[in-house]
Amino acid sequence: MSDTHRTAFRNIVGYVEAEALKRQLEAEGSDLSEEKGRVPATINRLHPKRLKLRVNQILEDTPTTKTFRMVAEDQELPPFQAGQYVNLFVNIDGVETARPYAISSSPAERNFYDLTVKRAAGGFVSHFLLDRVQVGDRLTSTGPMGTFHYNPLFHGQELVFLAGGSGIAPARSLALDIIDHARPIHLQIIYSNSYASDVIFQEQMRSLARRHDNIELTEIITRPDPGYSGLTGRLTPERLAELIDQPKNKRYFLCGPTPFNENAQACLEGLGVPRSQIMVEVNGPPKHPEAMAGWPEGISSDHQVTVTVRGQGSFNALAGEPLLNSLERNGFGAENACRSGECSLCRVKLISGEVFNPPASRIRKSDRKFGWIHACVAFPVSDIEIDIM
Amino acid sequence: MTHFDAVVIGAGNGGLTAATTLQRNGCNTLLLERHNIPGGCATSFVRGEFEFEVALHQLSGIGPEDRPFIMRKLFSDLGVLDKVELVQEHELYRLIVPGRQDITLPASWTGIQKRLSETFPDEADNIRQFFDLGSKVAMEYYMGLPVVRKTNNPELLDSQCPNFKAWGLRPTDEVLAEFIHTPALINAIAPYWSYAGVPTKELVFAEFIGILFAYCTFKPWHFKGGSQSVSSAFIESFEEAGGTVRFNCGASRILTQGSRVTGVRLENGEEVSCDYVVSNASPLVTYYDLLDTPTPESVRQDFRSRRKGVSAVCVYLGLDCLPEEIGITTASTFVMSSDNADIDEARLHTLSPPEWGMVTCYNFIDEDLAPAGKSVVTLVALQYGDAWASVPPEAYADTKYRFGGQLIDLIEKAYPGIRAHIEKAEVATPLSMMRYLNTPDGAIYGFRQNIQDGPLFRDPLKGIDGLFSAGSWTAQGGFQPTYMAGHATAKTILRKLKAQQKEAAHV
Repeated sequence: MSDTHRTAFRNIVGYVEAEALKRQLEAEGSDLSEEKGRVPATINRLHPKRLKLRVNQILEDTPTTKTFRMVAEDQELPPFQAGQYVNLFVNIDGVETARPYAISSSPAERNFYDLTVKRAAGGFVSHFLLDRVQVGDRLTSTGPMGTFHYNPLFHGQELVFLAGGSGIAPARSLALDIIDHARPIHLQIIYSNSYASDVIFQEQMRSLARRHDNIELTEIITRPDPGYSGLTGRLTPERLAELIDQPKNKRYFLCGPTPFNENAQACLEGLGVPRSQIMVEVNGPPKHPEAMAGWPEGISSDHQVTVTVRGQGSFNALAGEPLLNSLERNGFGAENACRSGECSLCRVKLISGEVFNPPASRIRKSDRKFGWIHACVAFPVSDIEIDIM
Repeated sequence: MTHFDAVVIGAGNGGLTAATTLQRNGCNTLLLERHNIPGGCATSFVRGEFEFEVALHQLSGIGPEDRPFIMRKLFSDLGVLDKVELVQEHELYRLIVPGRQDITLPASWTGIQKRLSETFPDEADNIRQFFDLGSKVAMEYYMGLPVVRKTNNPELLDSQCPNFKAWGLRPTDEVLAEFIHTPALINAIAPYWSYAGVPTKELVFAEFIGILFAYCTFKPWHFKGGSQSVSSAFIESFEEAGGTVRFNCGASRILTQGSRVTGVRLENGEEVSCDYVVSNASPLVTYYDLLDTPTPESVRQDFRSRRKGVSAVCVYLGLDCLPEEIGITTASTFVMSSDNADIDEARLHTLSPPEWGMVTCYNFIDEDLAPAGKSVVTLVALQYGDAWASVPPEAYADTKYRFGGQLIDLIEKAYPGIRAHIEKAEVATPLSMMRYLNTPDGAIYGFRQNIQDGPLFRDPLKGIDGLFSAGSWTAQGGFQPTYMAGHATAKTILRKLKAQQKEAAHV
């Protein structure tokens, strides 16, 4: 509307004064051009979509584990909360894929992230990282993310971390966070490994526990060599009752292989710990979805199906393999991060056919209604057509 | 190069209605969204067993089924009404000033007058006069003023809008003070200033009373499954009509030639050509970061008279109890530790503990968002993004939890015991809003909605042929205004297309 249209408005009480104020601002105010580029720059400091990382050092801790000390290539590393992960993108002989790794260094350490990788039986990415990645190599990751971290609003100050194998990575970060920031938190770490030779960060964790009253460490070996003198055996409710004082009043972090997490959770619940006080780190897609409740009867995990990506092509896949993995192997990318059903970044639309969504798939109510699935934990139990928009 | 009639940048409310309106009227449209999901702030997220609505507190403009209003018709016209389930909220809100005041108002224009008169009998006459004036100003603002605007006839202003003329642009607290004398009564009437994001000292009366009148008349509404369900329904409708949507794919440049839109470059480097661009991004981002040519002077002049608007801190809580166990009886509660008159906007530019907060308990709307026996509650404190500008990245998480904790402290005074029931908690700050909405300072309602920001003083941004802005920055903030802004922008484009086709047919 031009000014002439506004003459009728001039009789409204307050209009002339407001218009004068507007004119004054037009003459004197900033045109806000200082905002140019500010939003992405501000967000990038905290939540970059991608981080360019370089392997600065490789710490070899046990025969099956390496810790990759990553520095940023072109920006300051964003802060993270102990327990959070970055999703590390790799190209392995032409296959673009990624895996999330918890940051094992202290959040107070602003110059590098430690990513601790343990060789997974039958693994794909862990083998690549351990066998082929060298100091100086460049990798891309997401920014830090994830909800498996301490929350002072309701977690209290008595924490117990049950770690299995490489699950010590976030526990180490949490211990260092508590020490470096002098947080008034008591952290008890119960760390289980199959073999005594597998214990990651053993010296450092023992030393932290020795030097700090509020950090407590118990190591347990499930398959001890003859003559091993420490605690042995699987976690049982009895063992945990011995180790943990007043277990019902504590907040639990569980991080390890799926069977470890499931057993630890069952033990804690056996001690009367409410489910809501137990946090379990998501740990990749279920290895045996066909054994889970809700899996369709008569379909085996090696049942072959055809996956059609609308407008882009189709390929054969197995019912027991997560959709995201087969998509990637066949050259169809989808954004992803947690690869465990939680973050929803790999949300794609199911046009036809049926997928099995395990309980770990945190699908929004409305997404269920309109047919959106989380590809990282969706298992195609029939021929399907999807749309990656 | 692929050609589209129109490219819509951003699948927020304005982008969704713009794209759906265009496509359903035969305009081949590409909708770009940088995130993996549509809706902008009209979305939800899942934590454990809880699903949290991000932004919708009360939807206006729907109207009861037997008296449908403009938004019900818009959803119907755009093919989404039958894809969503609307739920009406029967109470307007509860207002608690801990230790001093606790009143619940029904969602009814006569009902609130009755409730207020019963509670403040000495002011019954004042209440009646204030609400009489209020309904007149609101009606004149919505129905009469557009006629005056169209005709520019001062006599029509006198005959159609006498009350608006005298009161409409005055600050809300001045008008309140002329009629109402008890601070507690003003507290009870005033909370909807927060839906405009400007305290009553500066909020023009017509805007304030328009909001109150509209919620009472057309009722507050919600969607089952949260606002994400309507955002997803728009995508369904848009695709059914043949539209193309790309997620995880922002726009990186709006391409022009001689001040005319020619196309859009996508985040992945791909370019498409088009005749029209509707940007649902903030105009500051659109003109300073996306446009491939210097910002037109007319746009910079508009920006000079604007100020960045308010953002918010939200605390999303999953509670291990039902709302009634901690005394929550309504979906919406406003909590203030001081009188409305003492609300200090300067404080919203700092990290000082909040003195004002809003509580929304979604169990009253959709009990499936929480598991049985538990509840989902969102706390909101308005705050400007600049309060967070100087927080170093390494202090961000601690600062966020500290401020979130202070907001819980305030709400706990109204609902004692709430903290002990927390089972999940997430804090979003103005920086979270900035991250997900891509807005300067994380503004949630666009530019600051003071008097000269109002529709009487604003023209659509011009200078680049074919480029339009739709969203809270060019209209008012909130759900209804942004849905309507996108729709209106699409209608403008459709009219231009029609005129072009006519012209082409004559050649």
